[in-house]
Amino acid sequence: MITASHPRAEGGGLSGLLLVALPVALLIWLVLWPVLQAVVGTVYFPGKGFSLSSYAFFFTDAYSLRNLWLTLWVTALTSALRVAVAMPIALYLRFRSGSIAALVQSLALFPLFVPSVLVAYAFIRVLGPNGIVDTVLVALGLPKLPTPYLTPAGPIIGLVWERLPLTLLLLLSGLGRVSIASVDAARDLGAGGLTIFSRIILPRIQSSIIVALAFNVLGLFSAFTLPYLLGPASPEMMGPYMQRTFSDNADPLNATTQAVITFAFCAAFGLVYVRAIARGRRGPA
Amino acid sequence: MTDLAVLSGAGKRVRRAAVDWTGIAFLAGLAVVILLPLIVTAVWAFAEVWRFPAIVPQRMGLGYWQDTLSRNDVWTALWLSLGITTTVTAISAAICFPAAYAFARLDFPGRNLLFLAFLSVQAFPKFGLIVATATIFLTLHLVGTFWGVVLIQLVGTLLYMIWIPVSAFQGVDRRLEEAARDVGATPMRVFWSITLPQALPTLFAAILITFVSTFYETDAAWLIGLPNVRTMPMVMISFINNALEVQYGAVLFVFLWVPSFLLMLAARRVMGADAFARGLGG
Repeated sequence: MITASHPRAEGGGLSGLLLVALPVALLIWLVLWPVLQAVVGTVYFPGKGFSLSSYAFFFTDAYSLRNLWLTLWVTALTSALRVAVAMPIALYLRFRSGSIAALVQSLALFPLFVPSVLVAYAFIRVLGPNGIVDTVLVALGLPKLPTPYLTPAGPIIGLVWERLPLTLLLLLSGLGRVSIASVDAARDLGAGGLTIFSRIILPRIQSSIIVALAFNVLGLFSAFTLPYLLGPASPEMMGPYMQRTFSDNADPLNATTQAVITFAFCAAFGLVYVRAIARGRRGPA
Repeated sequence: MTDLAVLSGAGKRVRRAAVDWTGIAFLAGLAVVILLPLIVTAVWAFAEVWRFPAIVPQRMGLGYWQDTLSRNDVWTALWLSLGITTTVTAISAAICFPAAYAFARLDFPGRNLLFLAFLSVQAFPKFGLIVATATIFLTLHLVGTFWGVVLIQLVGTLLYMIWIPVSAFQGVDRRLEEAARDVGATPMRVFWSITLPQALPTLFAAILITFVSTFYETDAAWLIGLPNVRTMPMVMISFINNALEVQYGAVLFVFLWVPSFLLMLAARRVMGADAFARGLGG
């Protein structure tokens, strides 16, 4: 994990513990305790004993299942699209340099600095009804676009846009492990682009793709703002569904059950992700 | 990740190679997909009349700036947002920086385990965590209160406010500290005169990231804050949902982007792109 740069650290086990006490207390109170409470509180009811009824309800309720299913396929599609869009840019940036490449990189990273509320608003102005895309189409004498606003395509487009930079950075860090010499050597031996990609590049960046995938799954299972603002009212992704169950239906038990279900679906990905960041952290760079 | 730096640095080395058509194609595509939506929305903020299907606004002007910025809900939300954000950032820095110092420099029992605990928060989908915490806040009557929002947003800042400063404190040159101590400086003096100044730029970066990301935070503010605590992003969302005049939202769009723009300028100076990627586990 974090190795002390000097083994003879300034000692003081007690002062160390005191210094970390407050954030640790906050972590226990506002993360570990709620998670524990959520898991236990949805299966054990004081005075009534154990019951899985809220889970039974979720997994037999057609609407809940449709929402879960929507979340799963939006997650799969969005993750695939993010990698598909970011990969060509990452490959280009890895093997090209120059002022144009630098510009491409800045542009591709730009969405890092556009908060999601603003993304949602810009989306509506561009792809919404009578947005700029419609304006241009009409000016060209073409029919208007069937707008993706308030359809499942809406959040997917928004979510791909918003997270393009992070996917790109993850892929670039993986591509850093691919030596240009090995690619050149393969090319000299007559390997085509596809062979080089699948035989030389892909094996080296596998772990980055897995981390990107884990990161995507975690993010999409808790996506809220963009699906809420750009997606259909029904079915809805797990984020908006939890919010509506909690706030509009004032039903914390079922909202917490839904939360625990998202924890369960993300558990494996969460483990992969935390392992990767813990590895990346080891020792000062 | 050093390759990113190499890539951007390589721009200076003029290559007499063929024209980079691939790059130009990427550039054109990204300009349309990334920049155009933002530019179109920004133009809306300065359009007094823009009726479909005109390509450009019929009349430009600052009329809607006056209208939007004289709305009470906008100013109430702005002061509230700045209040919450400042409180969160200040508390976070006060409790996390000392902890980061301890994680980086002191040896205490359970150090690795506790640090791993902070990382493991990342293994949960965030919105589920917010819902779980909100359920507890219900019983504590913290839902819909200023402090409820502060607490939930504070938790969201813990990881980065510990993590980024840990590397800052680890990066401090130990030989300078030892030299100062050799000439008789007290440990406190060494910390204030040697350690802190070296770590300061990174600490400042952590504060900036925390401030800006808290300012824009919507998920927790929505679930815990509404309906009583309406932060700035919530006003933006109500403008989107209630479909008021397009320009209200557009003016707010430009206005709200300012903090992010400042962060972007700072990011170019203080942080390399690799810091982001390493933070993500790249």
